[in-house]
Amino acid sequence: MASPPVAARRAPGKGPRLGPWMSSWLVMAVVLVVALALGSRTVGGGSDQDRVRAVASTIKCPQCAGQSAASSDAPTAEAIRRDIADRLAKGQSPDRIRDFYASRYGEGILLNPARSGPAGLVWVLPVVAAVLAFAGLGFAFRRWQQAAPAELSAEDRRLVAAARRARLSVGEPDGEPVDPHGEGDGR
Amino acid sequence: MNAALGRAGIVLAFVSSLGGIATVVVALSTGRRALLRQAASFVALVAGGAVVAFAAMERGLVTRDFSMEYVASHGSTRTPALYNVATLWSALEGSILLWGLILAGYLVAVTFKFRRRLTDPLVGWALLTMFAVCTFFFGLMLGPANPFRTLATAPLDGPGPNPLLQNNVLMAFHPPMLYLGYVGFTVPFAFAVAALATGRVGEGWLVETRRWTLFAWAFLSVGIVLGAWWSYEVLGWGGYWAWDPVENASFLPWLTGTAFLHSVMVQERRGMLRVWNLSLVCATFSLTILGTFLTRSGVLDSVHAFSDSTVGPLLLGFFALVVLVAVGLIGWRGDRLRSPGRIDSPVSREGAFLANNVAFAAFAFVVLLGTVFPLIVESVNGERLSVGVPYFNRMTMPLGLLLLFLMAVAPALPWRKASAETLATRLQWPAWAGTGAVVLAVALGARGLAPLLAFGLGGFGAGAAVRQVALATRRQGWRGLVGRTNGGMIVHLGVVLIAVAFAASSSYTTQREVRLEPGESARVGGHSVTYLGITERAEANRTDRIARVRVDGGQVYAPRLQRFPNGTQEIGRPSVRTSPVDDVYLALLEAPAAAGGAVRLRVIVQPLVMWLWVGGGVIALGSALAAFPGRRRRGTEPASAPVAEPARDRPDPVEDRQPVGVA
Repeated sequence: MASPPVAARRAPGKGPRLGPWMSSWLVMAVVLVVALALGSRTVGGGSDQDRVRAVASTIKCPQCAGQSAASSDAPTAEAIRRDIADRLAKGQSPDRIRDFYASRYGEGILLNPARSGPAGLVWVLPVVAAVLAFAGLGFAFRRWQQAAPAELSAEDRRLVAAARRARLSVGEPDGEPVDPHGEGDGR
Repeated sequence: MNAALGRAGIVLAFVSSLGGIATVVVALSTGRRALLRQAASFVALVAGGAVVAFAAMERGLVTRDFSMEYVASHGSTRTPALYNVATLWSALEGSILLWGLILAGYLVAVTFKFRRRLTDPLVGWALLTMFAVCTFFFGLMLGPANPFRTLATAPLDGPGPNPLLQNNVLMAFHPPMLYLGYVGFTVPFAFAVAALATGRVGEGWLVETRRWTLFAWAFLSVGIVLGAWWSYEVLGWGGYWAWDPVENASFLPWLTGTAFLHSVMVQERRGMLRVWNLSLVCATFSLTILGTFLTRSGVLDSVHAFSDSTVGPLLLGFFALVVLVAVGLIGWRGDRLRSPGRIDSPVSREGAFLANNVAFAAFAFVVLLGTVFPLIVESVNGERLSVGVPYFNRMTMPLGLLLLFLMAVAPALPWRKASAETLATRLQWPAWAGTGAVVLAVALGARGLAPLLAFGLGGFGAGAAVRQVALATRRQGWRGLVGRTNGGMIVHLGVVLIAVAFAASSSYTTQREVRLEPGESARVGGHSVTYLGITERAEANRTDRIARVRVDGGQVYAPRLQRFPNGTQEIGRPSVRTSPVDDVYLALLEAPAAAGGAVRLRVIVQPLVMWLWVGGGVIALGSALAAFPGRRRRGTEPASAPVAEPARDRPDPVEDRQPVGVA
């Protein structure tokens, strides 16, 4: 994250220079893929306490204000954690434990709403909305690209040329524009 | 005496707000512009009333005037001075009083800033909107949320505030910061309404309110981070963000406000997205009201929800009114809001801003849906269900990663159109920074795709931000650090810190519950904790049982259980060994009655937590730099050509074009 060396600022648009940055990006892609492949291999499950906590964090503490059974110190939450530990020790699966709690206290005890039924909407709606929104954005871009650019009149060109001259004259002494990268400086 | 004084202040502020509305309405409808100057007097009266009411309440708390119902139910003689002052915002009525004071403060600031332009109808409409909001809030305090009710017989003492609200100093700062943010969004909303009402829907109002929005946003950000910090230091479960409905209520306006701060640049530059920007401003303001409704009405179970009262329906009604007014005005001005511009390429700065806005809007939608979904389902078929942390984490993670990616790419994108070559050159070093972050994380033992992506994109984003600031400072010296773009890059760095710290601390937590005899040690997540012994200490407002715990053979930490006279059970107060690498979080779960017994401790080791708070500080610094005027450029005409009635939609006169806040 050091400040970029001069090479990185070399003016774009010179065909033969494709080489250096292309190879740099290729090397980077290889390094990244290898690192992610190494890093995303999951290691074996944690301790018993971790497994209890993982299940308890999906179950609501019935007595507390919006906390999970994993994070609350209320006696009920502690009892639930002990019960989950017992059930895990007996070999019950997390899903079975959750089903048990849902049948005893109602669906409301599960912090992850069900995937089916009316509760499933909470999972589906955001995905649908996001897909529609990005599709709409893509559609808008297509429309903008198809729209013909406005015709430039000679008058327009003269205005632009005058503005550019004025802009260059307040530039740096060597006549370079103030903002050669076109990146703005936060007016 | 205090109650009567406070009551008088509220009445004064309420009546003056009505007077202000009447004055502005008469002036605007009869065209007597000079009358608009009189609005300033009403502003002064509103502010005076708010200050008197606030001072009366503080005086009542400090002098322990238990004839006031609020003091009798939330104050006590044992509460230490700082928390005594902070008791004002520890319950419903007082917090609305704080809201009123801050609102009056913003009203004064706007009036002062535009003091030479009070006769401008745009400013008139903005003041009218703010007076209307004042009327609502001071009206609340006259009716259902009256902070100055009195008791016939004053008790000798009160219970004091909720114990959780009186054992950490952050309680003195988190609510005022949050409210400065919430209430601050009234200003851009007022100007948006004014722009719509006057038909001057060009870029003028945006430029006027740019800095106000930035200030409100910065306060809201800092308020949210302080709230997370408070919850980490006090609540004892080792977390700082629980997707609690009220946390979500503060996060929602932050999301839409952040979207607005970005899309506003597209409108200024290209004259596009007028409807969208107006909608975002209105959505942000109405979400602050919705958040207040969720907090104050007790409609959702939450540690923050104070009580149920008639305040809830009134706030909901006001929220509905705000939404109706906004939608109605935008619909009415629809023809003028059409913008002629177009975006040349999705691979451009404005294209990235658009994608950013869609992502932020989707993020806000997920949070809003998750928050109110249980309410909706219950009202439809009576079924009770919960939407909790696992849901929010899973649904927001992809959006968070997308936003990090955009944050990395957008600063390198030029406006209008970028070639692949420009991008490849400009993004090369930031991308290497991101790759380096991934390699470093893997080398240090981090596993899991999602956190690694977060680190990589965080490094990428940080690289892009540093690159921009480095280029700007090389060109302009210290001025390369100020101004909106450069200050914004510092804010980006703060956001990257928070994102990386969030990913690391939530992915690599080690938590154990251990039972230790005096002198016994346990090893958790590479740290040793040794229980030394227990001591009991009486404080003015509580009794503490303090466990002495040595961490890594070094300093001794003191997690404790606190018993407050008004509490039925003991409240844990964790103790944290903080370091740049990881935090060792100690919470006392059970302490022996007699010295010498065993304690039960929860030990949580989480990496990088400290950087969350540092990130909050960096965001505040970056916002301050962004608000500082950058290099003056020659004023440029807004890019948009008005569609209808060109003559009336000219940019405001030269005086108007001054950047807001530069007096």
